[in-house]
Amino acid sequence: MKTINLLVIFIIVALVQIFVPAQMIFNQEKIIDTGVAYKFKTQPIDPSDPFRGKYIVLNYEVDTFKTSDSLWNYGEDVYVYLNQDSLGFAQVNQVSKFELKGHKDYVMAEVNWYNRNEAELHFNLPFDRYYMEETKAYDAELAVRNSQRDSVPNSAYALVYVKEGEAVLDDVIINQVSIKDFVEKKEGSN
Amino acid sequence: MNSKIQKELPELVKNKVITQEIASSIEVYYLTKKEDSPNRLFTVFAVLGSTLMGLGIILILAHNWDNFSRSVKTIFAFIPLIIGQFSVGYTILKKKSVTWREASGVFLFFAVGASMALVSQIYNIPGDFDAYTLTWILLCTPLIYLLKSQALAMLHTIFATSYACSVGYFSGNESPWLYLILFALIIPHYVQLLRYKSLHNVTSIFNWFLPLSFIIVLGAFVKNNVEFGVLMYVILFGLFYNIGKLPFFDSQKLRRNGYLVLGSLGTVYMLLLTSFEWIWKDVFTNDMVLNSQEFYMVIVLFLVTLGVIAFSYVKKWIEKFNMFQYVFVLFALFFFIGLVNSIVPILLINVLILTLGITVIKIGADKFHFGILNYGLLIIAALITCRFFDTDVSFVIRGLLFVGVGIGFFSTNYIMLKKQRKKAIK
Repeated sequence: MKTINLLVIFIIVALVQIFVPAQMIFNQEKIIDTGVAYKFKTQPIDPSDPFRGKYIVLNYEVDTFKTSDSLWNYGEDVYVYLNQDSLGFAQVNQVSKFELKGHKDYVMAEVNWYNRNEAELHFNLPFDRYYMEETKAYDAELAVRNSQRDSVPNSAYALVYVKEGEAVLDDVIINQVSIKDFVEKKEGSN
Repeated sequence: MNSKIQKELPELVKNKVITQEIASSIEVYYLTKKEDSPNRLFTVFAVLGSTLMGLGIILILAHNWDNFSRSVKTIFAFIPLIIGQFSVGYTILKKKSVTWREASGVFLFFAVGASMALVSQIYNIPGDFDAYTLTWILLCTPLIYLLKSQALAMLHTIFATSYACSVGYFSGNESPWLYLILFALIIPHYVQLLRYKSLHNVTSIFNWFLPLSFIIVLGAFVKNNVEFGVLMYVILFGLFYNIGKLPFFDSQKLRRNGYLVLGSLGTVYMLLLTSFEWIWKDVFTNDMVLNSQEFYMVIVLFLVTLGVIAFSYVKKWIEKFNMFQYVFVLFALFFFIGLVNSIVPILLINVLILTLGITVIKIGADKFHFGILNYGLLIIAALITCRFFDTDVSFVIRGLLFVGVGIGFFSTNYIMLKKQRKKAIK
């Protein structure tokens, strides 16, 4: 093949290689700019990923909904429609297998299991990873545990922007400050 | 080794074994060969270097630098990618050497992975490991062909295998169908290697890599019907053995022929495994579901393997009867007999292993190949060892059997050694 042709094909490949991460960025920025902010009460624990580094896993308090529909399969997608309480915390308004017209914000979650006795659907919210600097991830977990002990019960929440089913986890807040600053402050005071 | 031959040349010329002309052309041959070899070594080191650099960058980015703002981190995500792309572009434009192509390609491969990883960190994108690896592999596949890079083709195979393992074995329990597409994407590259570089070391690496990758992944397609999984593997090893027996591969050295070695070892292993009673009684207890993914895969694999044998027949490549090539057919037959009666197939499989062992010994003796001969003896020894565990034969008889095999090892090797000496004297 001629060099020029090779080069043209390569430039296309290179553009796609740039386009994929760039598109990921634009998508997320769009949601942060125009989406609605919800607060999800949460509890973090810290694992890590071989390529992407340390993150904390967030366990959300909002992970069930009472529904009479009992036909749910593990791992299947579920539309979780949201409401906000007076303080901006997220509450589940409705769950559905299909998109509902007329309802407002929703996120796509994964079915975990259905509790027949309680008639409750358990689901996993997708935004359960918050990446942190490797030295801070474990401290963050400790900080959250301690903050729960010495202050109001569970003051940790995740700030999530939601738009048309997609969600971006922007920050995790403990006692009104970002978890990154919270850990630094703790380290400073120790 | 080369220098040894070169040292001998004056003596050979002096004693008129070869002419001066031949001597000088031998010299020239080795000189040109030498020029080639340090270059190759340099390529290997360059590839290793860029692999380490690429992985290093991924690790550094994985630190998650909290002190930088989101926009600064975003710029960081693209820097390695742009550097990698410029070096690959430069390599293509200036038609740089193999070393350049391999090293810049490998660097770009890891840079793509690094930039996607960093973006998902910055925005806490939950995307699972599988989707991330799949996008990464696909974004870099065209580079294999643009750069004609062997290192990238190897990385592709390794990452595709780990993707399939992740989907099929670890994170989920789904069949990694997309692996087949990733596998197909590498085939044109492999075919070119077989066509134009059939005797290069790189090609023999792929002769091992590709069947190995397939062997690792095949189990991920087995879900509920484990018994068909066993049949699938026996047929797969039969397929590899028959591919290895195609004259194209069979005429090469054994160490280049991964298909034949893996096919043969795998077949023997599977037969030994199924020669135990417990596997038929405990594992093969479920009712067979014929309308299942596993059964369809068995049929496809079976037909493909039969196709390879039929092709060999039409081309008149198969001259002598070789039991190994048909084991998969016999096993399939035994397998379905096993549905009715579990004792008959166990007996038949034991007889089959014994026959295979004897066949291999005979091939080894005919070819005067000690390796093959002892492989045959090992098969029989393994069969006897296995029967130690599940038969109620008295210790005396077991002991006598072992002594018998030991004597067999000695005598066959001794007889062959003697024969070989006689031949050499003649």
